[in-house]
Order: sequence, then structure tokens, then C-alpha cells
Amino acid sequence: MLKGLFNIVVKEIKELVRDPKILLGMMIVPLIIFPLMGFAIQTSMEAAEESMGSISIAVMDFDEDSITENLTNFLTALNVGIVEIDDLDLNKAVNYVEQSNLTGLVVIPPNFSNNISEGLKAELDVYTIFRGGGIAESTSSSAISALLKEFEENLIVQKIGAKFPEEDPKNILDPIDVSERSIIRGKGVDIHPSVLFGLMMAQSTGMPVGIMVLLIFAMQLAATSVASEKEEKTLETLLTVPVNRFTILVGKLTGSIVVAVVGAVAYIIGFSYYMSSFSGFMPTETSVDLAAVGLAPTPISYLLLGASLFMSLVSALALAISISIFAEDVRSAQALVGPLSILFVFPLLFTMFTDIYALPFPLMIVLFAIPFTHPMLAARVAFTGDYQTAILGIVYVFVFTIAVLYISARLFGTEKILTAKLKFKRFRLRKSK
Amino acid sequence: MTVAVEAIGLVKVFGEVIALDGLSFQIKKGEIFGLIGPNGAGKTTALRIASTLLLPTSGTIKVFGHNVADEASEVRTLITYLPEEAGAYKNLSGSEYLLFMTKFTAENKEAVKEAVEVAAKISGLQERLKDKVKTYSKGMKRRLLVARALASKPKLAVLDEPTSGLDVLHSVHVRRIIKQYVEEQEVTVLLSSHNMLEVEHLCDKVALMNKGKIVAEGSPAELKTKYDSPNLEEVFAKVVGFA
Repeated sequence: MLKGLFNIVVKEIKELVRDPKILLGMMIVPLIIFPLMGFAIQTSMEAAEESMGSISIAVMDFDEDSITENLTNFLTALNVGIVEIDDLDLNKAVNYVEQSNLTGLVVIPPNFSNNISEGLKAELDVYTIFRGGGIAESTSSSAISALLKEFEENLIVQKIGAKFPEEDPKNILDPIDVSERSIIRGKGVDIHPSVLFGLMMAQSTGMPVGIMVLLIFAMQLAATSVASEKEEKTLETLLTVPVNRFTILVGKLTGSIVVAVVGAVAYIIGFSYYMSSFSGFMPTETSVDLAAVGLAPTPISYLLLGASLFMSLVSALALAISISIFAEDVRSAQALVGPLSILFVFPLLFTMFTDIYALPFPLMIVLFAIPFTHPMLAARVAFTGDYQTAILGIVYVFVFTIAVLYISARLFGTEKILTAKLKFKRFRLRKSK
Repeated sequence: MTVAVEAIGLVKVFGEVIALDGLSFQIKKGEIFGLIGPNGAGKTTALRIASTLLLPTSGTIKVFGHNVADEASEVRTLITYLPEEAGAYKNLSGSEYLLFMTKFTAENKEAVKEAVEVAAKISGLQERLKDKVKTYSKGMKRRLLVARALASKPKLAVLDEPTSGLDVLHSVHVRRIIKQYVEEQEVTVLLSSHNMLEVEHLCDKVALMNKGKIVAEGSPAELKTKYDSPNLEEVFAKVVGFA
């Protein structure tokens, strides 16, 4: 029944992979652009980190008292370069700071120390030099604020300590030590819920976005594959060779799947590199033994995700082919298939931001009816442990796929594939005379 | 003599347009049969029905005894079809294209190899077969497609405007290929053309079509004698009443 399938699959792959638009868009761009973006971000992050380690500020001290001295000593102890300005003209001082490549200027007014000692509000003026933005500059600016904040906290602790010598000032400031733990599937585990929510968010954004990209890639490929046969006038010849029409359909599906998977792998590699450029700057708090708490993906959860993803991929491709049959050229096919991306975006948004079961019943039904919701739910099986929904989802997508494949095969077997001519003409503006 | 193609009362309607209006003809094995007529006469529709691409609204057409409507799979093993303005896969090389197409019809690897060699010889493209199809001129592409259509030794080659859009030299080359190959391999050919001179040179028998019907049929010599005309163009003009 599928005689000639391998021949068609090989041809499809060659045609798609050798198409410069597909090669560039699906493989070269993710493999080059993402790492380049990652490199650019990493470089600027490193520059920002470096600049934080070498902050130098100018200080105009109109107070010249004990607390002011404490402040400069505190900053010096934290490796902040201090340039004291004796000139009393603020404008001159600002010009000097700007030209000397210093991060900012701190102006300590008269009575600064005295006001603090007397329990009054003391003021401090901080000027940050804006040279054109950028991550490094904003980081340096916020670093000055953070250092001053730390000094202020030290002052508070000292004051409380002086007032209540018997007590630990930290206990007065933070009297309750809340210890948060999580309950997973009825079992208490010693992990802060925010860590789990963080992991869940990473899982529920990264994976569904990846799935959506893969499905959209594949649909565009399949639509292109059929429409280009029409556009290049090769379809009529292909339909008269002694090979089953269903075989041609399956060959096109398989070729598109292979190229889409390769494209998705390229995308994931490029994207992982891009994401890894942030990892050095992220807190390592999430180093939790997921396997110990039963949240690590198990072989079954991988299997369910794989099965759900594969079924969705086939159904997306069959859908794209069924629709592109009505298009006369590649542009029309892509225009027809494009709006179908709503079927991915809609479930993506809901699975990312809400619990699907918490939605109003009609909306929940609509979401479950969309076959592409199911691989996104299957991606969360490791967390939810809801194997039943994942399995039912696979069964549903399987039935949906069979129905769409049947319709595609029927359309492919009829003369509609040649006689249907839906063409999107480029919109033209007419000049009024 | 064996009947290769037999069409009886073919009608094809697209919406409100009657493309074929009771078309009947018979082609003997080894014959080159030409459907000639102006644009819109229904030639391509008739060829598409014979090639299993379209179904007739009514009437029947049989290829070597197989009804095209009911036994499309069997018919496809007997025919090759060259559509008008057909293309080849632009990102494949000429030889990859020939290999891809011949694999569907050849029975084994040896037969595939032989068919590709024959097609390469017919096309005359030699070293250019290694290049991608997208680098070919229109004439080169047409030669490749004609070679593909003939090299698999079909029992019936259906050729729609085989020299469409070609310059004089390429047209002569393609006509020569068809004539020579048909004689050597005893292939039956059903072709369409609006180039009456081409048909006169190539065909054993022609059917003049107008508005979905055959208005005259016979060998070019018979038609010229019957209508007392020096060529088929004059015959056609007389038959449809323009002269």
C-alpha cells in the first residue's frame, strides 16, 4: 500500500532542506542568531558585573562629621573608589564627575550626622551620571542605591542596639521567622513553594513555547510542500505516477515531520545556548533533588509527552495539508495556514497562566477540544502526576488525527486537489486621480 | 489492431462551463494521435481525464481496456503524462529528478538505472544533469520532462503541448525525440497542440476540436485532401467556418 513511500520522503526532505528560505529560517537562523544574541547579552552582563566591582563615586562633604566619616569608611571597605571634592560649586563638581568617568556624585549636606544623632530625618543627594543607558550603567546606578541602603540598615541596627542593649536588633526588625515547606501529592517536602513555582513556571513556559514553535514550523512546511507542487507545476505529474495517493500524502507528512524535528532541534540548541547565557547570573537556589520529591520526569511522563507530541504533530500536518490543498500557490497556502496558529497560542496562554480546571466549564471544554492543548498538558505530567488526562488526551488527538487524515486522503484522492484554486492577490492601493 | 485508447461520449462540466461535450475517439496501439484546436477547445481537459487526474461528468474512456474512472491505479501503470507548462523539482538535480520519477515505474534497480540512462540520452543534457533544475532554461527543462515521460517505456504517453513555449531549435529537438522514440519503442502517444504544423509533422491521426467537440478527424493527408487545403491550419479554418 505504501510502495514508493521512501522515495517520496527522500525527495521531500531534499526539496525542503535545499530550499534556501527553509534552510535559513529553520536551521541557520536559530543556530547562529540565538547564540549571537546570547553572546551579546552575556558580554553586556559581564561588563555590568565588572563595572559593579569597580564603582567609583565623588563625594562632596559639607558635613565633615562622624557619621559621614563612617559612611566613607563603609564604602571604602566595600571597594568603592571615593574621590573627595573640595570645591563647593555643584556645577563644577558635576562636570568633573562626568569627565572623570565616575559613576555618580554623593552630596552630604551640613548637619547630616547631627540630624541622624538627634533622631531627625537626614538628607543625602545622589547624582548618577547618565551617559546613554545600557545594562552596565543602570547596574552601577542601582549599586550605589543598594550600598547606601545597606549603610542605612546598619545605622538602624546600631540605633536599636543602643536603645535596647539586651535584645538583638535583628529580632526586633524581623520578629517572625517563617519557614515555608510544600506538600506534593499529599506528601510534605522541605522545599520552599516559590522554588517549586519557579520550576513549574520554567517548565510551563519553556516547553509549551517549544511545542508551539515546532507545530507552527511543521504546519508551514507541510503547507509549503503541497502548494509548491502546485506552484511549480509538479503536482499533476506526481499524481499520475503509479503510486497510491495516500502514500503521497504520508510521504509529504513524513518529510515535513523529519525536517520540522531537525528544525526544532536546531531551535532548541540555539535557544538553550541563548538561555545558558543568563544562567551564570541566576540564583542557584533551584538546585533541588526533583527525583527525591517525585517531580523529575519519569520514563512514563516522557513517553506520554512524546506520544502526545507526535500525534499532535501528525494532526497539525494533516490539517495544514487539507487546507493548503485549496491554495494555488505557496503564499496563499501560508496565508491560509497562518491563522491556525491561534489553535496553539490560545492553549499556550491558558496552560501558562492558569489551571485549566479552574476555568469556566464552556471555556474548559473549548480548550480540551483543541487537540494542541493536550501536548502542552502532557508536558506538565511530571508535575501534576495526571497521567489519566494525558492518556485520554492522546486518545482524543489520535481520533482527531485519523479524522483529519481521512479528510486529507479523500481530498488528495479527488480532482479537488487540482481544481480548487484559492489565491490571495497582493493588496494594491489605487491612486485616486 | 489493438485499441490503445477509446473515448465514448465524454462530457466534462466545470460549474456552468461545458469543457467537453460528447467527445469520442479511438487510438490504435503505436499511433501518434493529436488533439488540435484553439485555446479553450477542451484538449487539456480530455488529456487530464485520460491521465486519471479528472473524472468525466459522463461518458467513458478506456486505456488498453481499463476504464479510467474505475481502474485509475491500473491505468497509471500504463501511462506517463506530461502536462503543459509542467515543472520539475527545482532543488533537485536533473539526474535526481529522473531517478525519483523512474523509481515509481521501474521494477528493480537495474530497470531504474537503465531508464535513467535512457532519459539522460533522450534529454541530451549530458553534464548539466548534475546541476539543479532551477538553473535550467525553459528549453532544457522541457527536454528533461519529455525524456522522463518517454524513458519509462509507457504503453501510452499523454503529452500536453509538448513543445509549449520552446524556441524553434528546442521544438525541433523535442519533436525529433518523440518521433524517434515512438518508432523504436512502439509507444502510443496522445498529444495536444494548437500548433497545426507540429501536429502535421508528428501525428498519424488528428482530431480537430472546437468548443469541447471533435469537428473533424483523420490523418493529416486525409484531412487536407477532404477539405482541399494545403495545411491543417487551412483545414481547421474551413471546418470551424472562419475562412
